[in-house]
Amino acid sequence: MCGIAGIVRPDGARPVEEVALRRMARAIRHRGPDGFGLALGRSAGFVSSRLAIFDIAGGWQPMRSEAGGTLIVYNGEVFNHPELRAELARDGIATETTSDTEVVLKLLERDGLAALDRLNGQFAFAWWEPEPRRLTLVRDRFGIHPLHWSLLADGTIVFGSEAKALFASGEVRAEPDLGGIDDVFTTWAPRAPRTAFRGVQQLPPGRLLVWEGGRIVTERTWWRPDYSPRTEPAGELEPLMRSSVELRLRADVPVGTYLSGGLDSSLTTALAKEASDHQLRTFSVAFKDPHFDERPHQLEVARKLGTDHHVVDVGPAEIANAFGDVVWHAESPLIRTAPVPLYLLAKETREQGITVVATGEGADELFWGYDLFKEVVARQAALADPESAVEVFSELYPYFEATGAARGPAWARFFLEAGPADDPLFSHQTRVAATAAVKAFYAPDVAQLTAAEDRLGALRDSLPPEFGSWSALEKAAYLEVTTLLGPYLLGPQSDRVAMAHGVEARYPFLDHRVFEHSVRLDPSRKLQGTDDKIAVRELARKVLPEGIAGRTKQPYRAPQAAPFFDGGAPEWVDELLSPAMLRATGLFDETKVAGLVRRCRAGRATGYREGMALVGVLSTQLWHERFCGPHADVFPPEEGEPQVFIKQGIDQALERV
Amino acid sequence: MSNVEQTTGSAIKAEIRAYIEENFLYMHPGLEVSDEDNLLALGVMDSLSFVELVEEVQERYGISVQDVEITEENFGSIGALTRYIEGKKA
Repeated sequence: MCGIAGIVRPDGARPVEEVALRRMARAIRHRGPDGFGLALGRSAGFVSSRLAIFDIAGGWQPMRSEAGGTLIVYNGEVFNHPELRAELARDGIATETTSDTEVVLKLLERDGLAALDRLNGQFAFAWWEPEPRRLTLVRDRFGIHPLHWSLLADGTIVFGSEAKALFASGEVRAEPDLGGIDDVFTTWAPRAPRTAFRGVQQLPPGRLLVWEGGRIVTERTWWRPDYSPRTEPAGELEPLMRSSVELRLRADVPVGTYLSGGLDSSLTTALAKEASDHQLRTFSVAFKDPHFDERPHQLEVARKLGTDHHVVDVGPAEIANAFGDVVWHAESPLIRTAPVPLYLLAKETREQGITVVATGEGADELFWGYDLFKEVVARQAALADPESAVEVFSELYPYFEATGAARGPAWARFFLEAGPADDPLFSHQTRVAATAAVKAFYAPDVAQLTAAEDRLGALRDSLPPEFGSWSALEKAAYLEVTTLLGPYLLGPQSDRVAMAHGVEARYPFLDHRVFEHSVRLDPSRKLQGTDDKIAVRELARKVLPEGIAGRTKQPYRAPQAAPFFDGGAPEWVDELLSPAMLRATGLFDETKVAGLVRRCRAGRATGYREGMALVGVLSTQLWHERFCGPHADVFPPEEGEPQVFIKQGIDQALERV
Repeated sequence: MSNVEQTTGSAIKAEIRAYIEENFLYMHPGLEVSDEDNLLALGVMDSLSFVELVEEVQERYGISVQDVEITEENFGSIGALTRYIEGKKA
């Protein structure tokens, strides 16, 4: 697990400077605190900051194959690398290290991009073929690891795990992209390839692109969630999950787990405990506010499984104080504070000496656990008989409460009137409607500019041709995986906050074999009435007590507006929300925000939408200040000797000139 | 209508106006809303705001709002809502 970056120019007119690569390395050092490496040719340079997990001594990057002459910078893990290495050996292809990086490089040299289908893992990498001067960027199936790029006017491509590496290169300026920001206030995060920065793109999950001669010559999807009917039987979940967990425990360092106390992380932990050859260490976020806290459930699982358990106790002050750093790592405005406790959890995990954790992420999307899926069923039923669904609605989204009072009759109406049933985005209409509350705070010109782009229309246009033939729940699952899981849950709420402290998160449910199983599975094995994740619960009952296996989901969330307005809130909150700073940023209407702030101060902004609006405005102000404002962060060059410095054979065509 | 009832009616109207102003009108600086202005048409309220408003009305006035009663005729304006609450309390 690492951070990667690079600069490649179309010809030898301008050299790539070592100092620029060193600045890029410094910008992403948090992703790879164990050291950095460089490769520098005349007009091509690559950098890697490394978190050593496999082959601590031999796995340094950039890595070049002596036989094929190609080079890779690689972020992530291919868990089945021992099997793939053995296969290479049978083909007479020797490897010099035990790292997965070398296996990926040699598979690419042997099979080209067809090798991707063989990789079971989470990765983002850049593969450089010096002879045709061809750069290929690849991102894993679900988008677990990030990869950003920018194509400059002269054909130069600059890429990096995080956008800040691009800014550190000195080649790309950080400027707001209103469309990317508006995405955050539509579906919670910029939708790839868009980012919150103008001119900076992120490679969408499951995509690859090929740069050659100053142009993107190929860009294609190599994997995407596909719900088309399967002829093969689903098989059993248990052996698949055991295999997935076993693969994700592979590391040359100890692996821990995150334990939320819910079904998915408890099951992941139980399976990890069985497969682990050392005392398993578990890590949990607990909240000082009992309204959010799941501590008793976490302790019950930890006790039952006999793990070495650590708790990070999070209160309002911890959330407010860490929020600025979380926004910096997320590189995007946020509408929730929920990534903050996970940032603090990763910090504690690292301090406890654990750099790899397995989590339960992905189960709700694959096995239809979220309330969103029940909402779809209820709204469809209500189209025929409105009375039939009122009770179901009353059970949905407990965190959505406006005032903490019981839901009234208008609650069901909100769902019933959310939008037309023939809209491909039917399942997400209520989320989009609620999230749009933040847009009401836009400055008038921003409101006009963002309204001119049909954001939902663009999302509809991006749907695959087969989408229309899928069931309503499959459509909902596709949208959930592509608009929320990848862009938000695996990004700001997982990779970014874990890698902030050099911790790698792994997701057994997001093994592509488990996804394939979930699609083949009969729908009744996922959701039936209000019984969700049925197949997952059946497996959980084999390894956990009924109280845990049958537990109703408690959505993970954190206090929203309150932490920024109690006595101990940091000074920058007032400053960033002041009329002068709002005017300087120019994105929000200062009078409306003043009204919101007044209500927050009085403790009256307790509703779901106002909390989201406050977090949205404040995070946007922070994001702008740290990246785009006159006092934006600068990146000094990485000092010291790189662990690897490749200076020959990078730019063969140009070196011969 | 007796004096007591008149006082109650105007008090309800003032409370409803204060609630709408405090919770929703801050988003519309400078907008003047008369008692009979349609809050939906003006964009002051939407379906989620009604969730909050209906809750407030039930809690504050101790009345039970039925689904079929959530109409523009009953909840569409400050005046309409006042008349509705008065009717329910009568």
